[in-house]
Amino acid sequence: MKGPFLETMRFEVAYYLRRTSTWMYFLIFLALAGLLMMIGGGMWEGASLSFGGAGGNIKLNSPYSLAVLTSVVCLFGGIVTAALLGNSVYRDYEAGIHPLFFTSPITRFSYLGGRFTGALLVNALVMTSVPLGLLVGSVVPGLDRERFQAFRLDAFLHPYLVVVLPTLLFTGAIFFALAARTRQMLPNYIGGVVLVFGYLLAGTLMQDLENQRLAALLDPFAANPIDYVTRYWSPAQKNARLLPLEGVLLQNRLLWGGLGVAVFLAVYARFRFTHVAPERAARRRAAAAEAPAHAPPQRLALPTPSLHFDAGARWQQFAVVFRRAFWTVVGNRYFLAIVAAAALFLAIGSGQVGKIFGTTTWPVTWSVLEILGGTFSLFVLIIISFYAGELVWHERDVRMHQVHDAAPVPTWVPYAAKLAALAVVVALLQLVVLVTGVAVQAAKGYFNFELGLYLRFLFGAQLVNYLGLCVLVMLVHVLVNHKYLGHLIVILYVVANGFLPSLGLEHTLYRYNSGSLGEYSDMNRWGPFIEPFAWLKGYWAAWALLMAVLSNLFWVRGQETGARWRVRLARLRFRRPALAATAVAVLLIAGLGGFIFYNTNVLNEHRTGKEEQRARAEYEKRYKRFENAPQPRIVGASVQVDIFPAERDLRARGRFRLVNRSGVAVDSLHVAVPPTAEVRALAFDRPARRVLHDRERGYAIYRLAHPLAPGDSLRLDFDLDYVTRGFGNSVDNLFVVENGTFFHSTRLPSLGYNPAGELDSDDVRRRYGLRPKERMPRVTDPAARRNSYISRDADWIDFEATVSTSADQIALAPGYLQREWRQGGRRYFHYRMDAPILNFYSFLSARYTVKRDRWVGPDGRAVAIEVYHHAPHAYNLDRMIDAVKKSLDYFTAAFGPYQHRQVRILEFPRYEVFAQAFPNTIPYSEAIGFIARVDDEEDVDYPFYVTAHEVAHQWWAHQVIGAEAQGATLMSETLAQYSALMVMEREYGPAQMRKFLKYEMDRYFEGRSAEQKKEPPLLLDEGLGYVHYRKGSVAMYALRDYLGEARLNAAIRAFLEEWRFRGPPYPVSPDFYRHLQAATPDSLRYFLGDLFERITLYDNQAKSATWRRLPDGRYEVTLDVSAQKLYADSVGNERAAPMRDLVEVGVFAAAPRGRDRDEGEALYLRKHWLPAGTRQLRVVVDREPARAGVDPYHKLIDRHPDDNVVDVREAPR
Amino acid sequence: MELRISHLSKTYPNGTVALKDVSLTIPQGMFGLLGPNGAGKSTLMRTIATLQEADSGTVTLGELDVLRQKDEVRRTLGYLPQEFGVYPKVTAEDLLDHFAVLRGITRRRERKETVRALLEQTNLYDARRKKLGGFSGGMRQRFGIAVALLGNPRLIIVDEPTAGLDPAERVRFLNLLSELGENAVVILSTHIVEDVSELCQRMAIIDRGEIRLEAEPLAAIESLRGKVWKKIVGKDELPAYETAHRVISTRLFAGRTVIHVHAPAQPDPSFDAADVSLEDVYFTAMAGRLTHEASLAGAEAAS
Repeated sequence: MKGPFLETMRFEVAYYLRRTSTWMYFLIFLALAGLLMMIGGGMWEGASLSFGGAGGNIKLNSPYSLAVLTSVVCLFGGIVTAALLGNSVYRDYEAGIHPLFFTSPITRFSYLGGRFTGALLVNALVMTSVPLGLLVGSVVPGLDRERFQAFRLDAFLHPYLVVVLPTLLFTGAIFFALAARTRQMLPNYIGGVVLVFGYLLAGTLMQDLENQRLAALLDPFAANPIDYVTRYWSPAQKNARLLPLEGVLLQNRLLWGGLGVAVFLAVYARFRFTHVAPERAARRRAAAAEAPAHAPPQRLALPTPSLHFDAGARWQQFAVVFRRAFWTVVGNRYFLAIVAAAALFLAIGSGQVGKIFGTTTWPVTWSVLEILGGTFSLFVLIIISFYAGELVWHERDVRMHQVHDAAPVPTWVPYAAKLAALAVVVALLQLVVLVTGVAVQAAKGYFNFELGLYLRFLFGAQLVNYLGLCVLVMLVHVLVNHKYLGHLIVILYVVANGFLPSLGLEHTLYRYNSGSLGEYSDMNRWGPFIEPFAWLKGYWAAWALLMAVLSNLFWVRGQETGARWRVRLARLRFRRPALAATAVAVLLIAGLGGFIFYNTNVLNEHRTGKEEQRARAEYEKRYKRFENAPQPRIVGASVQVDIFPAERDLRARGRFRLVNRSGVAVDSLHVAVPPTAEVRALAFDRPARRVLHDRERGYAIYRLAHPLAPGDSLRLDFDLDYVTRGFGNSVDNLFVVENGTFFHSTRLPSLGYNPAGELDSDDVRRRYGLRPKERMPRVTDPAARRNSYISRDADWIDFEATVSTSADQIALAPGYLQREWRQGGRRYFHYRMDAPILNFYSFLSARYTVKRDRWVGPDGRAVAIEVYHHAPHAYNLDRMIDAVKKSLDYFTAAFGPYQHRQVRILEFPRYEVFAQAFPNTIPYSEAIGFIARVDDEEDVDYPFYVTAHEVAHQWWAHQVIGAEAQGATLMSETLAQYSALMVMEREYGPAQMRKFLKYEMDRYFEGRSAEQKKEPPLLLDEGLGYVHYRKGSVAMYALRDYLGEARLNAAIRAFLEEWRFRGPPYPVSPDFYRHLQAATPDSLRYFLGDLFERITLYDNQAKSATWRRLPDGRYEVTLDVSAQKLYADSVGNERAAPMRDLVEVGVFAAAPRGRDRDEGEALYLRKHWLPAGTRQLRVVVDREPARAGVDPYHKLIDRHPDDNVVDVREAPR
Repeated sequence: MELRISHLSKTYPNGTVALKDVSLTIPQGMFGLLGPNGAGKSTLMRTIATLQEADSGTVTLGELDVLRQKDEVRRTLGYLPQEFGVYPKVTAEDLLDHFAVLRGITRRRERKETVRALLEQTNLYDARRKKLGGFSGGMRQRFGIAVALLGNPRLIIVDEPTAGLDPAERVRFLNLLSELGENAVVILSTHIVEDVSELCQRMAIIDRGEIRLEAEPLAAIESLRGKVWKKIVGKDELPAYETAHRVISTRLFAGRTVIHVHAPAQPDPSFDAADVSLEDVYFTAMAGRLTHEASLAGAEAAS
């Protein structure tokens, strides 16, 4: 048996090695891997790519980055596997040679096994191009070596062994099996599609913390398990560790690799050397109908029909070819199966997406469309590529091409008919999305089906894209004239097209099919995206016409497939109609392209990422020296803003009152105006000369005729226009839109140099010869106290604003409405603040519906609550209002009075996804909270949480504001987070808090895992979300638990009272921390330090637990635990810390039926002093215990929270 | 109308010389193109059928330049390739109708009539609702002819149509073909000598890309009459005969070897005069010994 097996295998290997396509695959993947590495490695200025967050501290050739890169590149390897493994058996059927093999004296095992292993070996060989390409890409000269670490070979090889090979075994077996069983290639592709969907589905499952383990197991391509296993690794660990072949990753690899073997064995078991191909079986049935071929009785007498080759005849010919092509695709049960499978996957997947803290949103139409249409687009892409190939090859595949080719039909007829068939198939698929979408909405109890939106999205926006793709893909298949290579090139094109912008090729004019409708907003619909979309699609349609001509010229007709002859034939075909079409296409391309260029580059300024980087580097190089030039401070702002929503224009006029508080005379003023603004006027109330004007970087210096003496004041008058002219290369000026204008005071002039304009990434800074940048001044820097972290040119200011807008909208700014009037068909609103505020305000305008309520404090003072919202978004208004009231209750009691008489929540379009607190004003994105669908029993009520957080900012930021130094956001974001948690806990109880904090902990670990510079301890936070929000939540909640709420709140209150409305000098985090220290008993000082001063990680674990019944009827629980505390440095190098820490120990009763097993009643919950290492604890409880462990509520930061609690078993007697 | 091929040459990219300065004149009627496998028959046929390009030379059909005016040629062309498949899940009637539209028969009534007539002529009418996947080789071949005959083409090219047919089917198939030669140029390529001798008024023999003989079959046979001699010999004597005589063919007959020898006169009394068949012409031509004489004879016969 061994002989024929090896011979079959050898033959298979030799067969593939002789084929050019095998080596093409190798080269393509080599190039792909190499290019990705070189781009990431900073080979080209302005080009950047990052997979898995490599960059900064995480080196590109680290084992982690290489594993991620390998898994990404290998996702595309499926096409090669389909081609190699699928064809391995299929080609025998295709060539009709299988009877020769089946009748030869080789065993099934030799035949199948030999073929399988042979093809697999070749495939494995092809995929060595990936590590090889990565390796070559990482050592070529010209790279930024700072992005790499010392070379280690195993980092390249390990992912190949762990990721590539087991996946290959599985996908290879699937493709092999499908072809061997069905004797067709089509099911292969269906298999491929199902795999891709499995992968996507697993990806969506990852978003819910509860499902992550399952999702990691379910992904045959290993991308999810890699993510799962490494998601908490620090940068240092990512650089050092190989993927550990254990746990979920090992299970995943064994599962899929094993499944591969099982699939192969199953095929082997059921495979028969039979000659009866499905087609032949039909023939046998039909054999009875054999028609005798006797000579016709009379002479050959055929009717003489008239032949027509006019336009009508061409149309008929088109129609018959179209019909045939269409039914070839659709009239196939596999096609139906694939569509049904896709719809099913969509329906399942749609349940997962859009979750925030595990809470879903209402299935509003745009979200359903984005999820379904988005997920489905990959599927449609595969369908297009596959069926374009099939249709182009169809006649040749059934060997009818010669008869077809010799028919008197112009070449464009089959081309156009097939393209049309493909287009109609895609349109049908879009219909499937529509039906699925409506079904999903209905199933979730949502009945506002916006059919118009469905149609416009699916058949307007998306279908147009797909049609462009169809034309391109047909052209690829025509030109390449090799089916599988064609598929691979199509996939690579799609990927490359997605990456082009990050490679520095950003202009829409040279990214095929560019132009998207952007994000749909219920408020603003597609707003400004429609116009550029329409022009670009027209432009690309002209290109598509050109491609269609090209496809026609090179359409393979007849036997000549050599390049030389094809070119010659194309030249022959390039006659009048083709010439005319080319001329039309070229004219349209020039005309439309010119128009678009005029819009993007003449009416608007187009800056590439590279130019942007250069401008920022230049800004720093030129003006950094003025950073500390003394400047007067803004003390008052009186602004008039005219918003023109329909025109998307804006006029901002106003005056700033400036006072020289610097202590020295100021002779020149540094005024920054955003470069996109057009300055109508900018003047001072005294003579000044503009001595520098850098329009590109928006920086000007005015020399005062007479220096401004200390304490003296000055007026700055300005008049700026923001005008929307045509459309830009990207639609990024979304701050003024038809419905939902929202912009900040940053659109107005400011004083002095602003480090926020500098380049951030050290990798990029190096290229421009700039030194690495500290994110924030050090906490010990006394100069840092001069400014709050919100504003560098002002402290507390007087503020008033008049905002005008169109007659149907309401315009808002911070302050209290003084007057509202109409004039010239516009509405005017005058707002004024009655107390000084930070120099940080915003303006909004939209067609709002207003919901009003009020809160009355214990002192009888009333606060008006107003929610300005998009009329249909009424789902959570009561929650928000409730949250405002509860927050005011808690905060006024715990921290002190609210400084305003009003709380306003203002909805804005989802172009930005955040809520933000301004004085008495909270702009709130429509994407977070307004359409959330909260199940009060189960879900985290995040509209409530977000609202509480923003209300808390009225204290934490708007009453006390930190200096622009490390730790600033500890005093705003962390405290707002803590305050919101307290309100939430009162409302929803500790169980909800646990769920919420689980997400916070997860996001902290993920954040630090992708840290590019350095992770600071909480006390020295540098405006990092994962620190000040995520770690802040966890730390403050734990501190509350250890100190007690009253004691902690008193400390916080004391801090607030010390610093309320104060500055400069502004407080730094030690000013706050002192109050915490004062409130902390000595025994817990270590704990406070661990939370705030150090990066502390616990690894607590319950090993086992048993119970024994005591004579008195109670239960003694014996619990084996281990504890460990680690300190990490800023890149995540860890060292064991000495430990004698207070850790909670809990014993729990069985959970009520239907609840999670960890929701049982606590029978025992007390903190114990635990040393590092293992220890046995004995606890006596009254009832039978079910679960027990250490730190059961995950109050301490622990990377493995799942092993803290174990089942308690009855002890053996 | 006649088809004129002059100085046609074709070399494939892999170096195979498929056609070498081929010139032929093919008048209306059945024309047989005879040659062994790989002689270049199919290349020639495909070139005439507008599906293959030639490196040099011209092909004209009446006034039409076949190599350039492809579309015009296709309007009057019926082509049955050597090897062709069918859509297995489509019925004969449907597929024929499909091709009828492609061939320009766009009037519905005429098309129905034509399809019906062709199905009847090819005796597939009863099987018209059957899926083509279930057709036997012969039925498929007849279906192919039906496709080729759509729209009364004036140039009909059938490439190796009898390969794979059983004897009865072959006869019937050839009968059908013979009917066609009356109003059209019909080119039949085959490696079976009988096909030609039974059907064709004119023929050419092609080998390794070159025309070895262009003649009328009868005249060619006539030209060999009295010059072919046969003898039954032992197997071991064969080499001696091959050196002494111009042996054009050897074949087994009832277990013994019969040789045919080409000679102007009876080589010796042990030889008998053979009944000259087209096969002898073929083998003589293939042996490269007849070109001149037969061409002359053909020319005489034609004049």
